[in-house]
Amino acid sequence: MNTVMALAGIVIKELYRRKDFYVVFVLTAVMTLLLGSVNFFHDDKIVRYLKDVCLLLIWVSALVIAIVTSARQLPMERESRTIFPLLAKPVTRAQVIVGKFFGCWFAVGLGLLVFYFFFAVLAGSRDHRWPLAEYIQALWLQWSMLAMVIAGVLLGSLVFAAPSSNSTISFVVVAGILLLGRHLNQVALQQPEPLKTLVYVLYFVIPHLEWYDIRDRVSFDQALVPWADCGLATLYAAVYVAFLLFAAWLVFRRKPLNQ
Amino acid sequence: MKRPAPALVLIALATVSVSLGTVCERRVGQWSRRNQSDSVLKVLLGDGRRLFANHFFVMADVYFHSGYYPSVFDRRTGAEVDRRHLSGQEQEGEDGHDHEKEMSFLGRPKDWIESFGRHFMITEHTHLSGGGEREILPWLKLSAELDPQQVDTYTVAAFWLRNHLGKVQEAEQFLREGLRANPDSDQILFALGQLYYENYQDVDRARNVWELALRRWHEAESRNGKPEPFSREQITINLARLEEKAGNYQRAIAHLQEARLLSPAPAALDRQIDELRQKLRARPEAAQGK
Amino acid sequence: MDAIVELKNLRVEYRAPERGQGKKVAVKDLNLRVGAGEVFGFLGPNGAGKTTTMNVLLGFVNATSGAAYLFGVDVRQPISRQRIGYLPELTYYYKFLTAEELLRFYAKVFGIPRATAETRIERLLKLVELEQARKRPIRTYSKGMQQRVGLAQALINDPDLLILDEPTSGLDPLGRMKVREIIQRLKNEGKTVFFSSHELGEVETVCDRVAIIAQGELKVEGAVGELVTAHRANLEQIFLKLVGYTGAL
Repeated sequence: MNTVMALAGIVIKELYRRKDFYVVFVLTAVMTLLLGSVNFFHDDKIVRYLKDVCLLLIWVSALVIAIVTSARQLPMERESRTIFPLLAKPVTRAQVIVGKFFGCWFAVGLGLLVFYFFFAVLAGSRDHRWPLAEYIQALWLQWSMLAMVIAGVLLGSLVFAAPSSNSTISFVVVAGILLLGRHLNQVALQQPEPLKTLVYVLYFVIPHLEWYDIRDRVSFDQALVPWADCGLATLYAAVYVAFLLFAAWLVFRRKPLNQ
Repeated sequence: MKRPAPALVLIALATVSVSLGTVCERRVGQWSRRNQSDSVLKVLLGDGRRLFANHFFVMADVYFHSGYYPSVFDRRTGAEVDRRHLSGQEQEGEDGHDHEKEMSFLGRPKDWIESFGRHFMITEHTHLSGGGEREILPWLKLSAELDPQQVDTYTVAAFWLRNHLGKVQEAEQFLREGLRANPDSDQILFALGQLYYENYQDVDRARNVWELALRRWHEAESRNGKPEPFSREQITINLARLEEKAGNYQRAIAHLQEARLLSPAPAALDRQIDELRQKLRARPEAAQGK
Repeated sequence: MDAIVELKNLRVEYRAPERGQGKKVAVKDLNLRVGAGEVFGFLGPNGAGKTTTMNVLLGFVNATSGAAYLFGVDVRQPISRQRIGYLPELTYYYKFLTAEELLRFYAKVFGIPRATAETRIERLLKLVELEQARKRPIRTYSKGMQQRVGLAQALINDPDLLILDEPTSGLDPLGRMKVREIIQRLKNEGKTVFFSSHELGEVETVCDRVAIIAQGELKVEGAVGELVTAHRANLEQIFLKLVGYTGAL
């Protein structure tokens, strides 16, 4: 566990020493504050659009950080050849995979904390209410979703040739699942065989990332998702993460370290 | 020859650029209409802005329903949302029942994934109320900004501003903006008339505006514009009410007679005309149009 | 004597990058033993198979056949690397970390307790003369400084076996002297050193035994003094002869 956490610590250090997170955060903050400064019919109590846009920016930013950070971990280790002194220690390739995963996940989690703090302050300043339970739930679910994304991207970094192609494909896949995942069964029903079966199989196989997107519930002040359902969703995410990391290990253990 | 300092060269180039820009501005303005746009969004999005405008109008409806709304896929399988409820035109009874029906688009879940997924979605049909309607305003404003020719945006926003949010001046201002962009719009004129009549109790102004609205409607018809028949009915009925309240029964009758020409329920209007005629007979001096 | 490093019929083959070339044999049935406390030089021309052999010992590459052991443990077990230190030829360390952070990271990987690690980091930074630069990121270091960081990280776990790949490459004479001193000190402490180098003069000075390989095959192995006596030539001449340079003797 020491080794895994040590590796995770390296990833976190790398993230906060690079400019990515700060640029993305500043962009989010500036765009939200600009939008918040717009006057709509002299009504300063309007807040939902601001929450909606801020949460959308947080989602996009977190996805960018997660995917870009994860996509470069293993290729960068190989390209800069830091993998050699690392694996010359009593470190297994499985530990490298798991360490990188936790590093990316914790790093993104820290980023999310900062984003959600900003969001809470912004929304609270207009709304004069702080539904912390809702915000914590939204953060937790988003973080769980990002765990699946990170694990998938780590697998992708071992399969695809370059971090850029991995990032692009990951963005497309994640966006596709978020927008269409919920509706694939409807789409399947409208198709002729064998496409119907194919789409249905895809519907069952893909990780349903859209469950974790409860921005609407936060923006529209809906009640909390039952914590039991939250727990089940977390378990679902954990299973997918385990599967994806295992697949990544299977690929990595056979991969030559030289390019 | 001594080489000029780089700073001097830069200053010279900048001076030439600015001068050329000033000289060319007027000519360039004649090349395209883009320079007449005063909005960054319009310039950035071009004609695609209408798509966004429509999307933002739908967003207002989504916000009105606090996020519970059929997706594109639900609409493909038949769920369509009538926008009338957003403009307050929906009546209780049959229309209300129809709306409830069309908003029951979710149906039974087809599998465990959909069933579980619904725990994270908004699945309750509600409408904003009690001042919460303000939340739809930014989307309507943006929609109007992007497509000023979409008249509904102005009338819907004005409805909520004056009726539910107590912002009558803002509603008037917004309608006037809409009128500037759509000077021939009978719907905006009608909404403005409603504002003067219901909120300012300014009968004369309301009459003038509604009569103008009616003229615009007729002009549109004569241009083969195919204006909304419902719009004419609304204007004439409201004029009739106004005249009836003012004691001008003859004029009220004339308006109702015009209304019944296109009305789907002429029998009801006939009854009202009869009532007015009775009132007229009972008060002969009202026939003089006082 | 228990072997610290043992290779038994080690064979490493890989697919040639060019199509239709079949397989290339990098290491052919190599047998080698390095005893405890020895300073062992592993020599050969470029492409001889030295790096491949080292990669097998370090677990980077799997052998096609045969076996390799460190401290009697199969090299495929990560625990076999618990007591070794490795200095690569080219310095590959996380550029965004400082020297201190890098050493702390590797100490954590070895499971060294924090207090022990801090003491050791202090000592090592002093040894490699990087105390002044300890808080600067490694990307600001010169090549020599990066090599010294490499040496420090190779010693962080107080290894019983040090594997060095061209340890004096890129170092100035002072740096080379320092490395020789460190190797000698480790030998005095009873540690084993296994290193490859092209600096045959240096090898002749510090090594107890050497092995020379060429084209994946072991050409000769033995104590430096015995080889020099047997061939009646210095190590460089012996090397050149064994690798096929006929003008050597």
